[in-house]
Amino acid sequence: MFGIPTHSIAIPATGEHFSCKDHEALLAAMVKLGRRGIPVGCLNGGCGVCKVRVLKGSVVATGPISRAHVSQEEADANITLACRTAPTSDLELEILGKMKKSFLAQCSKP
Amino acid sequence: MGVMRIGHINVKVMDMAAALQHYEKVLGMKTVHTDADGNAYLKCWDEWDKYSLILTETDQAGLNHVAYKVEKETDLDELQQRIEASGTATEMLPEGTMPFTGRLLKFNLPSGHEMRLYATKECVGTDVGSTNPDPWPDDIKGAGVHWLDHCLLMCELNPAAGINKVAESTDFMMNVLDFNMAERVMVGPNGDIPAATWLFRTSTPHDIAFVGGERMGLHHFAFFLNDWSAILKSADVMAKNKVKIDVAPTRHGITRGETIYFFDPSGNRNETFAGLGYMAQPDRPVITWTEDQLWRGIFFHSGEESGSFTTAYT
Repeated sequence: MFGIPTHSIAIPATGEHFSCKDHEALLAAMVKLGRRGIPVGCLNGGCGVCKVRVLKGSVVATGPISRAHVSQEEADANITLACRTAPTSDLELEILGKMKKSFLAQCSKP
Repeated sequence: MGVMRIGHINVKVMDMAAALQHYEKVLGMKTVHTDADGNAYLKCWDEWDKYSLILTETDQAGLNHVAYKVEKETDLDELQQRIEASGTATEMLPEGTMPFTGRLLKFNLPSGHEMRLYATKECVGTDVGSTNPDPWPDDIKGAGVHWLDHCLLMCELNPAAGINKVAESTDFMMNVLDFNMAERVMVGPNGDIPAATWLFRTSTPHDIAFVGGERMGLHHFAFFLNDWSAILKSADVMAKNKVKIDVAPTRHGITRGETIYFFDPSGNRNETFAGLGYMAQPDRPVITWTEDQLWRGIFFHSGEESGSFTTAYT
């Protein structure tokens, strides 16, 4: 819409999809799934509740993330925080850590 | 004698320029010093000592240490003996370890958080001075917070494993540093597990609070505002500056404070807190909140758990 590139973000674990604009934070877009279980924390890379792994696709960082929550080894394994990551292509995401439990628990499959 | 009040807090930030913009423009503090390591020292207009916030740029957010001011230099020596006698190791950092500041007695709370006590810090006066002062200065920016008021530290609580750092840290503060308890949350089938406490040395209901969680951390640090209208104005300031508001203006049942929670650019939670609550005194009966009403205690209007209030912290 409005000529802004938009990417499709898939979450294989729940079968859900949402769209995320180029350079829009994944967490901000994920909120538009409009359901409970998306623990929006500090939104600024500090608290670590929105930890995800990028399974497929390419992303860019939108700001610093806390090393207390994502180690260098994890970062090398494509683990990051959804509040500080934007897609540059279609993606597949895995929800990790504290977010995973509430995210899967609140997923209402038809 | 003994501890008077919270003196300063040293927090980690991941982007110094963004942090300075936040604490200066949104909260209205002034940067008074930058040391050789790049740490920034800031002060609120209604504080008289040189600084109350130190920002340290690193690769994560959270607490480095929190410091409380004691009345006399001799208090430091007496308290060092009492803390050591309680089984906690201490270190006396010499004058000049931190700029404008005298000796610092350094130790860790049972929860693991680093605390420091000091008696001396350069007094520069409030921004309205001490002779025929105006009620407020003309150059206030943003919310114009008056002073650093308190902090809330998250402590490991796992009753099944027999771990309760809330209880241990509370006992330490009360027995060794002579803090008094204003309020507490008691949980569990028998209502006998302390899950949160609010402690004071001033005459307001809390100068420090402890809440149980899965890991230790910094939940928030709070700045004082006069009243509800100042709280609403601070919300306007946050919206103007696109600050992430965590909890919109409401009232706490616990402490009766009027509040907004929001995040700094590194995800450290701040609070602007208004109202002196009630007169806290050592002989005032301790207020207890029960497990079924604890969210009424936290957010009095909604009485409901809010988002990631208890899970998101640095």
